[in-house]
Amino acid sequence: MVTGGEAPALTSPSRSAGRVGAALLAVLALLAMAAPWIAPRPPDLQEDVAGARLLPPLTRAHALRTSSGIHLVTDLQRTPDGWSGRRLRAIEIVRDQDLPAPPEARLYLLGTDTLGRDLTSRLLFGLRHSAGVALFAVALAVLIAIAVGSAAALGGAAWDAVLMRGVDVLMSIPRLVLFLVCATLFPPSALLLVLVLGATTWTGLARIVRAGLQTLAGGSLRAAARAAGAAPLRVLARHLLPQLVPALAVGAALRFADTVLLESAISLLGLGAPPPAVSLGGIMASGRESLAGGWWLTALPGLLLAVLVLSLRSAATSLDRTLDPPSLA
Amino acid sequence: MRPFLLRRVLAAAPLLLGSLTLLFLLLQLVPGRPFASEAGAGVSPAAAERLRQVSGSDRPVAARYLAWVGGVIGGDLGYSWSERRPVADAVRDAAARTLLLAGTAIALQFALGFGLGLLAAAAGRRLDRLLTAAAGILYSVPSFWLGLLLVGSFSVRLGWLPVSQLHSPDAAAWPAGPRFLDAARHLVLPCLALALPGAGGIALFVRDEVRAALSEGLARAARSRGLGRGRMVLRHGAGRALLAVSVLFGLAIPGLLGGSIVIESLFAWPGMGRLAYQGTLARDEPLVLGCAAVAALLVIAGSLVADLLAAAVDPRVRESLW
Repeated sequence: MVTGGEAPALTSPSRSAGRVGAALLAVLALLAMAAPWIAPRPPDLQEDVAGARLLPPLTRAHALRTSSGIHLVTDLQRTPDGWSGRRLRAIEIVRDQDLPAPPEARLYLLGTDTLGRDLTSRLLFGLRHSAGVALFAVALAVLIAIAVGSAAALGGAAWDAVLMRGVDVLMSIPRLVLFLVCATLFPPSALLLVLVLGATTWTGLARIVRAGLQTLAGGSLRAAARAAGAAPLRVLARHLLPQLVPALAVGAALRFADTVLLESAISLLGLGAPPPAVSLGGIMASGRESLAGGWWLTALPGLLLAVLVLSLRSAATSLDRTLDPPSLA
Repeated sequence: MRPFLLRRVLAAAPLLLGSLTLLFLLLQLVPGRPFASEAGAGVSPAAAERLRQVSGSDRPVAARYLAWVGGVIGGDLGYSWSERRPVADAVRDAAARTLLLAGTAIALQFALGFGLGLLAAAAGRRLDRLLTAAAGILYSVPSFWLGLLLVGSFSVRLGWLPVSQLHSPDAAAWPAGPRFLDAARHLVLPCLALALPGAGGIALFVRDEVRAALSEGLARAARSRGLGRGRMVLRHGAGRALLAVSVLFGLAIPGLLGGSIVIESLFAWPGMGRLAYQGTLARDEPLVLGCAAVAALLVIAGSLVADLLAAAVDPRVRESLW
């Protein structure tokens, strides 16, 4: 661009945003994979339901193992013959003779939920579940898209018409509506989520595969491979599909973002995988009941979700612009 | 224009038939016979047989398929077990309220997105970056999260706006003025939650479209003749962006209908989304299937409208679509 003093602003900000997005994505992926090892506590551990209920982020507490069970107290202080601490807005005093073990320190980095479970652990496992479901669903979608897109592009006009009208049909029912139909007919499970989310997200990707193959199929590459005696499927797998990997990767990343949002919406409605599965949407649902008392229960899972979606989209957009830069002519 | 209209409407009919077929096929995937229950408690075999007869589920597949498609086309969506009235009645009442919410949201979404996009395109480098980043973040915010945050701050903490429902409980007795105001106050939060994230996406799209239009020869020539930046954006960019947005309009409807399921459920807005959700919880097959059929109808009609809009603005579209 030569006119004016301004360079086209399309590329420069998005490139740095893309780098930040990719870095954030790597961090989130690591956190999700490492959740079982780095979570401070099991995500469904309820040591003291009443005492640990709705502790705000950065709460320091102590666990007192008394004969009547574990009591979690804050503001622990030494008294002449035992310990005193705050529990349920009251001062609780435990004498040394009732306490076989010394108090154990607990840090609730991101607070606790309405059942006294550690939110840090739940968020880590929720991220793992939500991203995992979306990952499997998108993987399934990519497989379907490759099969349908290839059949439509290379199978002849009749196949093309039938399959692409099928794509149009599937796209005309909103994904969440289709999920509600399936949730009415089948019992909820993580498998149902993966299957339905996967079976409803491949349509756009199939169009990418079809369009890409139609462009490539007329090219010299295919003719050369066929002339060398390669079978059609081999030409497809070895010579044509690899060229579509970048476009498919961009498309899949954008679908991943949509799917992880949809999974959270479904779990927020209570139609996702049943407990003990922890989902970001499920955590948000538990925070709905205590909007006044525990803002962190809705704010934090949503923030995590928004960061995941934002980094996915900016990484994908940046990748897309790197592969296919907007023409500057 | 007339032949284009005819062709486009004719193309929409098989799409609707396809959606109805897909929904019917899903129903056939369910294992077991309807009303069959384990021996002992539950429905007796004789009662189950009678229920199958009454509901028509003992008829052959082809007959049921024809009855389903014919019913939907004739406006008969079956009988809702949980609502205890015909599905068509329940959906009709709810669809009007969904159209109110989703219609307001779509208008707000496009107005806001278009304005923000034009502003970013006309702005200098720094403001452009700021607006683009803001739009990108807005676009990534889950609408249901935004809804919860809005309720948490404006309803629970500040107490400015109502948490849920369409009206205040006693609004029916009020005069028209306050009643309208009351309804508008109930509309604000769900509408914002539904509209804002999409507005961010539209803003990004419009900004890129306008920038692309401005880098073309015509606009560069105009600029070299001394046309100001703001006028350039309006004269050369806005028209092209409007064209592109008319295509987005059709694509936005499925997302908006899907999103309204969550938002309506969160805000207890008695629309179609909430109806379908409650039907799901009650495992009310006719109700959910009926809502899905109407949703498909709305999506197809919406994309039809979008195509007609695009054709009205742009003669090339009229020619290009077979």
